[in-house]
Amino acid sequence: MDKAIIRRVQRRDRIARWTITLGGVAIIVSVIAILVLIVSVTLPLFRPPRDEIVSKTALPAAFSDKEVLALGIDRVELGDRAARDSLTGYVVTQDGRFTFLDFSSRHTPSAVGQVANLSYSTRSVPGALKKTLRFVENHAGTRYSLLWSDGSASLVDAVMKPRFDESGKRSVEHELRTLAAFPPEKGPLPLQALLRAAEGGAVTCVTLLPGNRLSVVRRVSSENLLGEEETIEHRRTIEEGIPGPIRALALDGTGKTLYAGTENGCLAIWQFDAKGQIVHHEVVPAFRDKRAVTALAMVFGDVSLAVGDARGEVTVWSEVRRGDSRKLRLLHRLSQGGKGVREILPSCRKKSLLSLDGDGEIRLDYVTSQRNLLRLTGAGPIRTAGYAPRGNAAIGLGGGDELVVWKIDCPHPEVSWATLFGKVHYEGYAEPEFKWQTTGEEPKFSLVPVIFGTLKATVYAMLFAVPLALFGAVYVSYFTSPGWKNTIKPVVEIMAALPSVVIGFLILLWFAPLLGRWIVAVFTAMVTIPFVFFLFLLAWQGVRKLHWAKRVEHGYEFLVLVPVMVAGAGLACAAAGPLERWLFRSYHGMFTEWLFQVTQKPYEQLNSLAVAFGLGFAVIPIIFSISEDSLSNIPYSLTAASQALGASRWQTLWRIILPSASPGIFAAVMIGFGRAVGETMIVFMAAGNAPLLDISPFNGFRTLSANIAVEIPEAPVGGTLYRVLFLCAVILFVMTFLLNTVAEVVRQRLRKRFGQY
Amino acid sequence: MKTTRTTPTMPSTPEPIQHVMKLPPPHVAGVSRDPSAAEGIRDPIVRSQNLHLYYGATEALKDITLDFPRHDVTALIGPSGCGKSTFLRCLNRMNDLIDGVRTTGVIELDGRDITDKSLDVIELRRRVGMVFQKPTPFPKTIYENVAYGLRIAGVRRKAVLDEIVEKSLRRAALWDEVKDRLHDSALGLSGGQHQRVCIARAIAVDPEIILMDEPCSALDPRSTTRIEDLIGQLRGQYTIIIVTHNMQQAARVSDWTAFLYEGALIEFGPTDRLFTKPQKKETEDYITGRFG
Ligand SMILES: Nc1ncnc2c1ncn2[C@@H]1O[C@H](COP(=O)(O)OP(=O)(O)O)[C@@H](O)[C@H]1O
Ligand SMILES: [Mg+2]
Repeated sequence: MDKAIIRRVQRRDRIARWTITLGGVAIIVSVIAILVLIVSVTLPLFRPPRDEIVSKTALPAAFSDKEVLALGIDRVELGDRAARDSLTGYVVTQDGRFTFLDFSSRHTPSAVGQVANLSYSTRSVPGALKKTLRFVENHAGTRYSLLWSDGSASLVDAVMKPRFDESGKRSVEHELRTLAAFPPEKGPLPLQALLRAAEGGAVTCVTLLPGNRLSVVRRVSSENLLGEEETIEHRRTIEEGIPGPIRALALDGTGKTLYAGTENGCLAIWQFDAKGQIVHHEVVPAFRDKRAVTALAMVFGDVSLAVGDARGEVTVWSEVRRGDSRKLRLLHRLSQGGKGVREILPSCRKKSLLSLDGDGEIRLDYVTSQRNLLRLTGAGPIRTAGYAPRGNAAIGLGGGDELVVWKIDCPHPEVSWATLFGKVHYEGYAEPEFKWQTTGEEPKFSLVPVIFGTLKATVYAMLFAVPLALFGAVYVSYFTSPGWKNTIKPVVEIMAALPSVVIGFLILLWFAPLLGRWIVAVFTAMVTIPFVFFLFLLAWQGVRKLHWAKRVEHGYEFLVLVPVMVAGAGLACAAAGPLERWLFRSYHGMFTEWLFQVTQKPYEQLNSLAVAFGLGFAVIPIIFSISEDSLSNIPYSLTAASQALGASRWQTLWRIILPSASPGIFAAVMIGFGRAVGETMIVFMAAGNAPLLDISPFNGFRTLSANIAVEIPEAPVGGTLYRVLFLCAVILFVMTFLLNTVAEVVRQRLRKRFGQY
Repeated sequence: MKTTRTTPTMPSTPEPIQHVMKLPPPHVAGVSRDPSAAEGIRDPIVRSQNLHLYYGATEALKDITLDFPRHDVTALIGPSGCGKSTFLRCLNRMNDLIDGVRTTGVIELDGRDITDKSLDVIELRRRVGMVFQKPTPFPKTIYENVAYGLRIAGVRRKAVLDEIVEKSLRRAALWDEVKDRLHDSALGLSGGQHQRVCIARAIAVDPEIILMDEPCSALDPRSTTRIEDLIGQLRGQYTIIIVTHNMQQAARVSDWTAFLYEGALIEFGPTDRLFTKPQKKETEDYITGRFG
């Protein structure tokens, strides 16, 4: 051959080889890159919480001689750069003053120990000149109930407003806003006072009086008939029904639910109506060993109660509905520390709690996941602590009047393997449950319902699609005449070209309502079609000796059987109405009514059957096409050899063709499975998308893919939901990747095993 | 074949012809070895009478009348496309698997017409086994390959299966080679072994007739020799009808030879006579390599 031609051929060969290699490598790299990308978004979910001491300073000398009653801190994260964080702490001293300290510059540990240039400013509570503070209680982040030495009480909000001047420098404006004030009452000085200002103007003040009495004052303002503002105070003193000496009190944000913890390990709950009348009272002997309840706080959401006890344990209690009655029940046990719990401080954004125990150790726990997030150490025993409303910082006053500030980095405390994949007892639920619900105060991120939904969709779809596709493939490749095979196969493959949004649309608007109307007929058809079929076969025995019947038996069976099936379906439709009326005569003659009575769940129009049909429609062409190919690839000589040994067509099919093609069929089913798992549009449109955990075919579900599609528009970038959705994507990716890998491995085996034919 | 352009009366290479001539005439009861009696075989097992076969409109077999002597080896020779395979497939109705095949005439197997539509072809195929040109072991173990015909006939007892598998493999001269790997895949054997597995598989159901359609054309010379030896050993127990386009092979293994040409039977007779004294011009031309 001509040298030039050889060189040209070789050059083309090389180019082709390089192009193909490059393409392959590029695909692998991009797939890996996508995986790395989505995994990297999910990783922060599992990063362990971190804390960092950003400041350790002595209290400014100016007020170091005054007793510190409470501490507070507020951290506002601006952007990604920690340097721009705003970090303001404040100290509440006995003289009724709030001293604000700016820790914003202290974002690096190098600043630890530097007392200098810690700017501070002090604000006094208006009208507090001649009084001192007896008791301070903090709730809702920056709100303080203050009980003064003269017996008066006030509710004060410490407002911190960041300000930017022209040069873009930020400063924080501090202000104390009094929301409500109650004048001193006659009688002995109260020991504690809890004030709440509810939306709508009602203010509640609960005071603990000496002699183990509680006084509740509810101030309601409304407009009278003349259009004037009118304030009414409802007063009530509680002396009865208190199970022991009260150690701690907690009041919810509306002021309508009051909890008390006693010296002898009991919890008492009172519920008031708008006028302060007691509508519910319950005493729960919470601890069998009668350990004292030393601290109470409402967990974020105002439904659960955090209880600190003399053993250093923090437990969370909530009202659980049992039939008609509601009962306060233990829901969660959090981490345990030393001695008695002195203080419990809730976060205002998430259900995390900061607790300070008698040994001066600060612990951070997440309630729902019962997860101990952190133990804040490195500052010796702490006397008083403060917790940022956003849960992202803490402040403590240690021995030697040392003020310590921690930055806490734990953006996703509610997520752990246990909450993602395990049962969680959410407040308001009677039992621990797998729950996906992203709206509401406490997002519930159990992936179990969506993974279950994915499997449910896939299994129902496969139950529908696999038999049809495989029987079709066997018939087309082995029984029908070559002419029909060359028509049927491309037609089925065209089904695959139908966009899934069109299928979903048709299911949603046309098929699901139709199915709802004919559901009984569908089930009747499962009996009538085989029945008619069987009758037909009996009749066929009579004519099969005839010449034309022989021809039909060689590849044209379906031409006769399609009318038979149609007849069976028609019979079902005709019989369904009377049958339904008769079968369900005690349920108004309605199947759906019966279903609801029996299962207590309604028939949903967008249900698993409808989806199975649509998803099956999308999957059938894939399974059909691949398995038909692998069946047709079995060499004809095998069929001939088997029949030459006296095997019938069925024996040959079962013993030779199917086993030989089984790896290919397996691969086909797996690839169909993979497609069904990842399919989004059909399930998104037709499955109703309720994340239920129920195998009933008459209700819907939510799949991983639809979950992403439904939730991602609502998910703030970088938030927990956003990352959990990416985790869904990772799971989906892994699932389809595994399925396809298994299918591919099997297919390679097939190629190796049958390569010699 | 190109080397054998000698005289018209001395066909093929000298060696195989000598071999045939040295071969003692097969002694099978009831069959006359006399060339003059060739057309009147006394105890034929299969008789084909006026057989015509059409693939659609084209006539592939034209009026074939031919008797096959029992327990002998009969070779069908002829140029490619003359209808040898088609004829062979008539004998176990494998043509049924092909669309649009129509036959007229009669083929009798022990006096029963097997072209009859009401005949049980499964029963027929058990009596008339077939070995194909391309070895077709099933993707199963050697054991399962040989036991296949028994299993589909409903034999379940292991002892029976074991015994028949061993016997068949021994008869197919394969036992010693595979007795230690009976449960390995048959696909792992060599081409010659594959063909012997196929023969063993055919023997296992104990047929009366074994049809072989060019059983050696896909094999190397050594395997060919082994298969030919095997045919020699099976002669006398089975009636063997072998299609070959290799005339030396026909001469080596067969007692009788039929020459087909363009769908018609030209000549039939004892192999040594047909090869030494062909009576038809076409036969002579073919065996001397003028065409084909
Ligand atoms: N399945 C078939 N359909 C149509 N014609 C066929 C078929 N098989 C064989 N033929 C034709 O019948 C003739 C005989 O073929 P065949 O029996 O295979 O010849 P041989 O085996 O002698 O080479 C040939 O002309 C061939 O083209
Ligand atoms: Mg042939």
